[in-house]
Amino acid sequence: MTAAAFLPWLVVAMLLVAAVQIGRRVMLWRAGKPATIDWIVGLKALPKRYLVDVHHVVDRDKSASRMHVPTAGGLVLACGLLGFGLVPAIAASRLYWALVALAFLIMAAGVVLEARRRYPRALPRLSLGRWQRLPVYLGVFAAGGFLTALLAALGNPLPALSFLLFFPAAAAGLALAATTASGPMRHALAGATHLVAHPRPRRFDHEAPKGEATGLRPLDLEADKLGAEMPTDFAWNRLLAFDACVQCGRCEAACPAFAAGQPLSPKHLIADLAAASGGGHARTYAGNPYPNERQIGGTAGLHTPIVSPDGLVHPDTLWSCTTCRACVEECPMMIEHVDAIVDLRRFQTMELGAIPMKAEEPLAHYRGCDEPSGRPLFERTDFAAGLSLPRIVEKGEAEVLLWLGQAAYDLRGQRTLKALIQTLNAAGVDFAVLGGQERDCGDLARRLGDEATFQRLAKANVETLSRYRFARILTADPHALHVIRNEYPAFGGTYDVVHHTAFLAELVASGRVTPASLAGRTITYHDPCYLGRYNGEVEAPRALLDALGLERREMARSGKRSMCCGGGGGAPSADIPGDTRIPDIRMGQIKDTGAKTVAVACPQCTAMLEGVTGERPEVKDVAELLWEAIEAGRRKPAGAAPARELQPA
Amino acid sequence: MKTIVLLSEANDPISGRPHLSRLEAQAIGLAANLDKTPQGLHVGPSEEGASAALGHGLSGLDVVETSVGEDPLPAIAGFLKNALNGNEPPALFLCGRRGEGGLETGIVPYLLAEALDLPILADAVAIRPGEVQGTLVVDQAMAKGARRRVTVRLPVIATVHALAPPPQPFAYGRMRRGELRRHRADMIPAAATSAESTTPVVGSHEERPHRARPKLMRTSGTSAGSHNLHVGPEPDEAARLILAYLEENGIRRYGND
Repeated sequence: MTAAAFLPWLVVAMLLVAAVQIGRRVMLWRAGKPATIDWIVGLKALPKRYLVDVHHVVDRDKSASRMHVPTAGGLVLACGLLGFGLVPAIAASRLYWALVALAFLIMAAGVVLEARRRYPRALPRLSLGRWQRLPVYLGVFAAGGFLTALLAALGNPLPALSFLLFFPAAAAGLALAATTASGPMRHALAGATHLVAHPRPRRFDHEAPKGEATGLRPLDLEADKLGAEMPTDFAWNRLLAFDACVQCGRCEAACPAFAAGQPLSPKHLIADLAAASGGGHARTYAGNPYPNERQIGGTAGLHTPIVSPDGLVHPDTLWSCTTCRACVEECPMMIEHVDAIVDLRRFQTMELGAIPMKAEEPLAHYRGCDEPSGRPLFERTDFAAGLSLPRIVEKGEAEVLLWLGQAAYDLRGQRTLKALIQTLNAAGVDFAVLGGQERDCGDLARRLGDEATFQRLAKANVETLSRYRFARILTADPHALHVIRNEYPAFGGTYDVVHHTAFLAELVASGRVTPASLAGRTITYHDPCYLGRYNGEVEAPRALLDALGLERREMARSGKRSMCCGGGGGAPSADIPGDTRIPDIRMGQIKDTGAKTVAVACPQCTAMLEGVTGERPEVKDVAELLWEAIEAGRRKPAGAAPARELQPA
Repeated sequence: MKTIVLLSEANDPISGRPHLSRLEAQAIGLAANLDKTPQGLHVGPSEEGASAALGHGLSGLDVVETSVGEDPLPAIAGFLKNALNGNEPPALFLCGRRGEGGLETGIVPYLLAEALDLPILADAVAIRPGEVQGTLVVDQAMAKGARRRVTVRLPVIATVHALAPPPQPFAYGRMRRGELRRHRADMIPAAATSAESTTPVVGSHEERPHRARPKLMRTSGTSAGSHNLHVGPEPDEAARLILAYLEENGIRRYGND
């Protein structure tokens, strides 16, 4: 009898322990609300979701993918091979044990790479505690397994040593299996199940427009309880998602609120939400604390409110979020943080009225006059006095319906809209606006959790839009674009919505406007979250800027991984104090490129970045830059030298 | 202490849609400190705006439906008289300090006080129960930020000043849960009110073009001196005294015409 012969039984024992442990979590998931899941499709898609989608995200951090592929691959391979070892004939083969030893060796190599991420000092975004001890358990298990199998492959020359090596491997293996309830290894089982039963399966369909997987779902306003108060108010696969977290901290590193010292860390929040259903953290949370952490009571349970000063999550944490989705974009486990935050906000706003006083103001205006700024709807077009701005009520139909949005009330936003309208007129586009009939799209209300107001506005806007004939809706506001394109279909309004950057790029490409070159100017482009990350539109604005002959420099964080300006999700309204301001951080990144101008494509980003004090690059909307180039083209005869005098001093 | 908040037919100043007056929402906030289940009363053709009061913390709202343009005062007085004679009589009635609807005068609280024969206290910013049972301590807002603390015997009508604490945020779920009780106006025995209040005066006023008026802040004080306290003067005499006072202080400078 050799020690290696016990290895298959060790794996069986580990599987049993893991099954019992994960079974305890399954009992908790079952307390969640039901969810419709296509299991067959999910199971079929699992290999692709894991090997393509997950790996694609993990691979952004090379040290993580190089560590995880051999560790997880070796572990699964070794355990799988050991399953065959239960057959005596196979267990007698020395070649078989050589294969097992090889699998453990691969795993051990991965563990060494993992240990290098954590020792002597862990990456700052990683959790310590049990996560820091994980490579130790994995290492002992892999090394013990390797040596035991190697001795078996060599014909078991040292039986005593082989037993001496087997026992630590067995202890480490069982310890690993025991952490599947609340420890590190939970991510493997919960993560795989989460990929199968993902609440947003559309996000794995790369052919579908990205916005389909990012729009919020409507809430049933007749439900007994609006939004999520306690763990049982989440759908069961959302509870499962919280358990899938590996605490890698990529979300935290990407979170603008965390960077600004506001009391939010997506990783901590997901860990809290996972801990809430089991009655609190099994061991102390060992990641970075919430910045400027607020005092909380810490009571938790399946039927205990999560967000409250007595609970596990302080309300300020919830209201710090800008809903920029950077955490979701970075999460290798495909967790949907923003959905959870909006669900929790819905309960706070609609059931408790526990919303920050400053954020209640726009909501009160919404109820009073359908516009968060508290301005009359008929004043929306006042800024365009003197411009040719046809109203659709006079024309009845138009090729393009221009959705003005909130920017029409803001002096800075009006400059962008004027440039856009002038360009449309210069290109001879058949367009019109709703004028006084345009209500706010309701984005701010929805992100602040006031679903009732959002649904009222959505229905009213869909009803208004149904009265007129137009081919497309054009808007300069990515928030309005996202809401109308992706969230209005649930209320019976399906429209072809185009962002002004894409529309203007089309105009330039088709030669309907002929801008002069603005060559000689350096520029960087700040991607709005709701255009880039939410809708995947990152190329059109860049193509347009390049067509203007501008020297484009990219920030380290750009495209779908761009950093938020701090203006989304009602965060400026809630105004949770931090150590610094998010737009200041972003402006710092803009300055690092050395560009003299930052091109923006969203009125929120414009307002946030223009609010940065001191000497800073000029903030210009893409539409303003294009209009500047068109005007420069008109002043100069065709073929003249590039308009170098436009270079700012 | 059972508290009833009277809800008027206010219009949103921007859109003109019926909405809940902010003053009344603040009144609900004050009421919630005294009564765990504050109630509301609205008399008018529709509760479209007033029903939002449930979302701001009222636990129940009585709506007496009257026709458009009808004087709500008899129905309000009748309803409240019923309540006062009931087995759990309300002790405090809170109202906004001004009308915010199209033709509202803001005088209803005063006419109501007269009809119910209750004391009225204007411009409350803070209310708490008095040390003696059946009394109430009210902080009144005065001009230039001054405050006056008054102790009154219950029951009492009080109007709420804009400087009272901000209202609780609106919660849709709370509005949905709140109890809305509808009553027909003819089921409420109308209380006798003085005759002139029952006929709304519409369009009989004179319109004058705008002209710049001197700033009142310049000379007027926060409290009246004793030398111009006149008890029960004849109306003509009172008018003459007021005009004389205004001219003395430079507030009115248009001669005796």
